[in-house]
Amino acid sequence: MAGAILAARICSFNFHGERAPALRDVDFSARPGTVTAVLGGSGSGKTTLGKLLAGWLRPGPAGRLRGSLALAGELLEFQGGEDDPRINPAAWSDRVGYVPQEAAAMLSTVRSTVAEELAFGLENRGTPRARMLREVAGIAELTGLTALLGRDPATLSGGELRRLAMACAVITGPGVLVLDEPLASLDAAGVIQVRDLICRLTGAGTAVVVLSQAADGLARSAAHWIILDGGTATATGTPRKLIRSAELARTGTVLPAVTCTVPAVRAQSPVPDTEPVLELEGVGFGFPGAGGAVHEPLLRNLGLTVRPGEIVAVTGRNGAGKSTLLRHFNGLLRPDTGTVRVAGQSFAGLPAGRAAASVGLLFQHPRDQLFERTVLREVSFGLRRLHGREAGSRAHEALETVGLSRDAATHPAELPASKQRLLALATVLARRPAVLALDEPTVGLDRHGLGRLDHAVSAAAARGAAVVLVTHDAAYARAAAHRVLELDGGCLRDA
Amino acid sequence: MPSTLPPLTSLTAAGCTAVITTAAGTWPLSLAVGLAAAVLAVRAGVGRRVLAAAAAVLLPLGLSLLMLHGLFFPEGRTVLAVWGPARVTAEGLTFALESGTRTGACVMVLLLFSFTVSAPDLVAALAGRGLPPQFGFVLASALTLLPAMAGRLDNIRAAQEARGLVLRGGMLSRLVGVRLQMVPLVLGLIEDSGSRAQALEARGFGGPGPRTSYREVADPPAGRRFRTALLLFAAAAVALRLAASWPVAGPS
Repeated sequence: MAGAILAARICSFNFHGERAPALRDVDFSARPGTVTAVLGGSGSGKTTLGKLLAGWLRPGPAGRLRGSLALAGELLEFQGGEDDPRINPAAWSDRVGYVPQEAAAMLSTVRSTVAEELAFGLENRGTPRARMLREVAGIAELTGLTALLGRDPATLSGGELRRLAMACAVITGPGVLVLDEPLASLDAAGVIQVRDLICRLTGAGTAVVVLSQAADGLARSAAHWIILDGGTATATGTPRKLIRSAELARTGTVLPAVTCTVPAVRAQSPVPDTEPVLELEGVGFGFPGAGGAVHEPLLRNLGLTVRPGEIVAVTGRNGAGKSTLLRHFNGLLRPDTGTVRVAGQSFAGLPAGRAAASVGLLFQHPRDQLFERTVLREVSFGLRRLHGREAGSRAHEALETVGLSRDAATHPAELPASKQRLLALATVLARRPAVLALDEPTVGLDRHGLGRLDHAVSAAAARGAAVVLVTHDAAYARAAAHRVLELDGGCLRDA
Repeated sequence: MPSTLPPLTSLTAAGCTAVITTAAGTWPLSLAVGLAAAVLAVRAGVGRRVLAAAAAVLLPLGLSLLMLHGLFFPEGRTVLAVWGPARVTAEGLTFALESGTRTGACVMVLLLFSFTVSAPDLVAALAGRGLPPQFGFVLASALTLLPAMAGRLDNIRAAQEARGLVLRGGMLSRLVGVRLQMVPLVLGLIEDSGSRAQALEARGFGGPGPRTSYREVADPPAGRRFRTALLLFAAAAVALRLAASWPVAGPS
């Protein structure tokens, strides 16, 4: 397309060994200084398209492409054969940056501080040190990482990690930037920083491509939309033209309210006078630092009471300690001070595995939670000890609830990120715990996935389970929970 | 606690100590070097980790040396005991002792180095000497492999405990845990390596051309002089050993 810095005409793209194409009939173009949004539900092919555009999936080694790719005026034609041109990933990445959905995959893992991780791409390009120092300080300021420059990247929270991954991609100044779900796990301040950064980049002439399953504010600021459904581009055009289109409605794309209204808060907990199922009293906790020294406490004299059937949402800035709080419920972390009780019983001195019968924890990163060889084995792990002969039916029932019955024989690593989250949720639901602790359950879910999550949470609450969910999605928190609390300064307070 | 020595000086000191101990080939020196390394490890706060790793390497090695040389040493003349085809000889035991202590000293010194050196400093220092970045990456990956594996094992264990696996109840429970964790650990590491390779390529790691380093590592002149002296000392030790072992030509 005339004026485009990056364009693709994909007749078909097949992964090796797959008969059905992952992508077909997709025409894509991105112009300098604009945002292009690729929208679609789970499994629509957004990530595959993004990786193809960014050179992370190279025609030939990764699969067979019939079509063409054009970058900065250079056209590459592919017939899906041996004679196809080869993409040089280093040269391609000089001009096209990519931030994957799983931000941690971006990191080198051999750099010991955030500053060094930021400089990694510059080092590989032989940038003089004085310029590196300036560039690192500049990008850190733009992404809110200045205070974290000396931290080990492995200790960052999910939102901090996403901002670091984005800064790593931006720092080398590519002409095109492809961002896969760039707002996932970000707090409100992080969202503003990322949107400001994108504004600044487009102002400087960068073409930004956003892959998203939500037609949120960032997507609506795009100049151009491409709607993907089942690996095919079903519609292209301006947001104004497509926002109410049947093509968008058919996908699982989430459509946050176009007009901003405060969502209705659920009625008070239906069982106010019952004994609490989850109680935290005076809980304090800090991670040990190097040499055994205790860092600044993340949790301070924290108290929380949740009754059967009650849904509590916990919000707070990135790195506030929300995930750390949830890990205290089932004994994966032990408080330095105070007590945690589930159904009146303290887990102090008991191994974490004993708490699993009462507390189900959905991890922030589903890949950290999945370790089995098939989806069915994953859900079935540990169920027999809990439910005896009913274990099989419980596992199938949980898979049915999250819509993964057809994927029972699939390896969890082969599922798209949204299905991995739903699978992790199924492992929690199958145990029917008295307490559900859900860490960022909405991240990466399309509209269908959100519907299944909502149904599962409501059903758990209806049978008397206490639900505590951590989320940055304020609208979801207010709509889904009876109470919304904010974790700030190590304490919980009403939001 | 990381070593206060510059990384190249630590590397040279560890390498030269291993070479000199091997060249000297006397068990009292080897024993003294091994003990000194243990004391330094304890003082650096890594004694437990170094000794545990050394035990994992040296116990099976020591037993096999005893079996091989203690019981079957054809050159042995001073027979202490005989069990069928096995002969315990003083010469065999001495050889096993010398081999074991020599290897033990080298293992202790190198473990002390790897547990106290700052991997990022070492990689930056080597890159500053013009070594290929791929070499530095492999070295850093090797030095951080154990902590990385430990971190991944922690994640797997947490995921399994969150689903009812009880792992802290004695040896049998631990063995069950190891069996359950090994497969996901290995598969996860393989999966990680694939995605990591993509990310490294995308960040220009495989590209040609000169590299620069963000991290600056101090290398004072005294350290350089110390390294030169160590290298000369090690070369002299090897030369002396070769001279002492060189077969003298007899009269024809």
